Amino acid sequence: MRALIAAATGLALAFALVLTLTALGTPTGKTSPKPLLTTVPAHP
Amino acid sequence: MRRKVSLILLAFAVFFATLSPLLRWYAFPRLVKIPANQYQDMVLEAKDATLLDYGTMKAEKVSKITIVQTLKGNVEASEQIEKTAGRDVVVWDSLSYAQGPDGKMVASIPERYIFDAHTQEPVHAKGEMVDGDAVERQGIEFKWPFLTEKRDYEYFDAQARVTAPIHYKGTQDFRGIEVYYFEQTIDWTKVPFPRTMPVEGITRESVARTGTTRWYTTVRKFWVEPVTGAPVYGEEIHKEELRGGSLLGGREKVTAFAGHAKMREDYVEHTVALVESNRTLVLLMTSYLPWGFLALGILLLSLSLYLEARGRPGDPAPARTTTEPDPVTA
Repeated sequence: MRALIAAATGLALAFALVLTLTALGTPTGKTSPKPLLTTVPAHP
Repeated sequence: MRRKVSLILLAFAVFFATLSPLLRWYAFPRLVKIPANQYQDMVLEAKDATLLDYGTMKAEKVSKITIVQTLKGNVEASEQIEKTAGRDVVVWDSLSYAQGPDGKMVASIPERYIFDAHTQEPVHAKGEMVDGDAVERQGIEFKWPFLTEKRDYEYFDAQARVTAPIHYKGTQDFRGIEVYYFEQTIDWTKVPFPRTMPVEGITRESVARTGTTRWYTTVRKFWVEPVTGAPVYGEEIHKEELRGGSLLGGREKVTAFAGHAKMREDYVEHTVALVESNRTLVLLMTSYLPWGFLALGILLLSLSLYLEARGRPGDPAPARTTTEPDPVTA
């Protein structure tokens, strides 16, 4: 019974972690202030 | 005590073993995406190209045409579209700007490309365009999906505004990276004149009145890193002609541009380094962490079982036996 509870705890924690991470997602940031180029850049 | 440790190890074993498939098949498709705020520039050069001189209307050899391509993620526009699309969307505003050896503008073509941040499938929304003309793209453009497959893809050609297959032509080694080589041929196709012409006073409409038409053909080549789906190198053999009409002074056709455009060396090096770094991040989600967690789960489970086995009490002591006869009472 104890083993079953331990396994269930591990399972629940894994699901909780992944679901939280995916729910938070990744930040979108802001549009770059740099312009669309009409000159040849010297380097990348 | 040993039993308690064994149970904790079992919990961790299940935790890591569960994380493994969850990361690969649940988190990866949801977390790994093209950032909405990406900004990227690229320089291609076509050496010894042919270019039409609009003053004399004759094709001339020029030492080099330089094409500067900028992609800029428009975060505000993507957030707006996401409200109705119901998925993560990227909006790229791009400009392909070509200039001759004298620095004068040869072509300037803006685009707005809207696509799914995870799958690269095109998303149709107001504002999607090529050179001011509304389009509805099918297929991919600029970038392949993550975990690119060894198969043909549909690729959107911005000049002709058509989608055609881009063929997988094999796996190659490009500067130490395994890449998939893709090639697309667009046969001679009538295409619209650009809205911004290289000569002042000439417009798309004024050229159209002369009856002269613009035709184009290209062979497009991409070397794509399959994990990220990012091209590490690209070339294009591009030809344009003006045909018929009064603009050509009785000639049937004249070359407007012909050249073999290749990525500039410093951009190739930069792109290879960038793709290698992004590749590691994607592999972390698709391979390194899932396999690592699975191995760790198995290891912890084995340790837990071992401790459990050792911690169990031994077999019960054998019952005391006696050969002596029971005493007899008188």
